[in-house]
Order: sequence, then structure tokens, then C-alpha cells
Amino acid sequence: MTDEVDDGTTATDLAERRGQETKVYQPAEDSGLLADAAKEFARGRTLEVGTGSGWVAEQVAPQVPEVVAADVNPHACRQARERGIETVRTNLTDAFADGSFETVLFNPPYLPTDPENEWDDWMEQALSGGESGRELIEPFLDDLGRVLAPGGQALLLVSSLAGYEEVEELARDDGFVPEEVRQESYPFETLSILRLTRFTLCGKPSAGRIE
Amino acid sequence: MKESLMEIVCCPMDKHDLELDADERDDGEIISGTLTCTDCGESYPIEDGIPNLLPPDMRDGA
Repeated sequence: MTDEVDDGTTATDLAERRGQETKVYQPAEDSGLLADAAKEFARGRTLEVGTGSGWVAEQVAPQVPEVVAADVNPHACRQARERGIETVRTNLTDAFADGSFETVLFNPPYLPTDPENEWDDWMEQALSGGESGRELIEPFLDDLGRVLAPGGQALLLVSSLAGYEEVEELARDDGFVPEEVRQESYPFETLSILRLTRFTLCGKPSAGRIE
Repeated sequence: MKESLMEIVCCPMDKHDLELDADERDDGEIISGTLTCTDCGESYPIEDGIPNLLPPDMRDGA
């Protein structure tokens, strides 16, 4: 999602220009960055929220005991399952039990979208983060702590288009410690991966060397 | 879906456990069937191996 979009071009146009299908978001730079971080950090039972084509889940599958993918889009669910990934159709983490996952991955829809320019199809849902770019990130963070196992972590892709500081702040508000573990700059945005963990009583994350 | 998925899925509305009623199985996987909430009684379809755990008002649309 690094294309220029200020000229009124919709993401559907972009997808069509690339000769891609228009129902399921296909792997792009953001997916690659998330997969790269996931290969380093993912452990335990792992959930990918908003899996789209299922590509990131497939990349991380060899190194964790179990991967589950979730998406609200039925076309995405089918593509992910065709990759051999266990797939659940649900909104964000709504249908997962408390404490189920040691790792949660999410490359959210984050393009800030003028409500008057919304185009209401599956590709829009895969790209649009509402007016702020954070309309899916907020409810995701609000429910994340519930589905994480004790000591669990999330890897969240953040674009500068959705506001890096604002997302960090939302994560802190929900009791997470954000740590940037990847960053890449593109002409129109900077992509980061935030690793989110919970505060713990032993070893403050910001205290430096642990005696 | 594999039966082991039952350990980690729940009713999207009230987070209670679901009960599995499998119609078709293939190679250890459940291909079609129904998941029913043990509390509110709402039922969710499993089609082509994918459980649809959207609330009823979001379920339609393909």
C-alpha cells in the first residue's frame, strides 16, 4: 500500500491497474515486512488477523506449532484455506476464546479514507482504515489483551499514514509496551512493525540491563 | 477445520463455548456442520471447512 492515493484514485483502481483481483488483498511490501518480523519473533500458537490471501500465515507456519488465520472476507478465507492454513471467518478477534494465542499478527487496513469517497466492496474493507486510518486498529487493540495468553505478544504493522505516534499511544492506553522491531521507508509512507507485549512485574522493559 | 480448533473458538457475541455438530468429515477435518453456542443458542455454519463465526447480522454477503 505504498502507492500515491492523493489524486482521487481509489485502491480498487490501483488493484485493477496492477492487474490483480479486486476481492482479496494480495501480498505487498507491508505483508513482506510483517512476515520478516514474524519469522524472527513468532512463537507458540499464532493467529493472523485479517489474513487476506493467507500469505503471511503461510510464511510463519513452518516455525510455530500452530497457525490460525482469520478474516471477515469470505474470499480471503477461501484463499487462506487453499494454502493449507486453518481459517476462521470472523471480525478481528471476536470469535476466539480468552488466552488462546502466544502470538497475534495483524497488517490492518490503514489507508485514511474520506467517508464520501468510500466505495464499499471487499477490497475497500481490506484497505480503508476509515477517516483516521485507525478505525480497525483501535478495536483490535481493545480486544487483543483478551485473546493473548500470559506473556503473549502481537506484531502490528503501522504505516505513517495512520499515524505512528497515535497508534503507539492507543497501544499504551490498552496496557501494552510498544517496541519498534522493523522500519522501512517508501516514497509516500514509512512502514513499521510494532511488537506489543504486556507490562510485567519482573524486569521493566525500559529499565535497560536486568541485574 | 480440525476438531482441535474447538479449544480456541467461541461465540463471537457472548464468548461462551460452542458445541460442534459435524455433517461431513474428510481426512480428520470437518468440512461442513454447525457450531452452536452453549449459552445463547445461536448457531454458526461450517462450510467448505471454514467456520463462519460472524454474528447473524454480519453473516450475509459473499
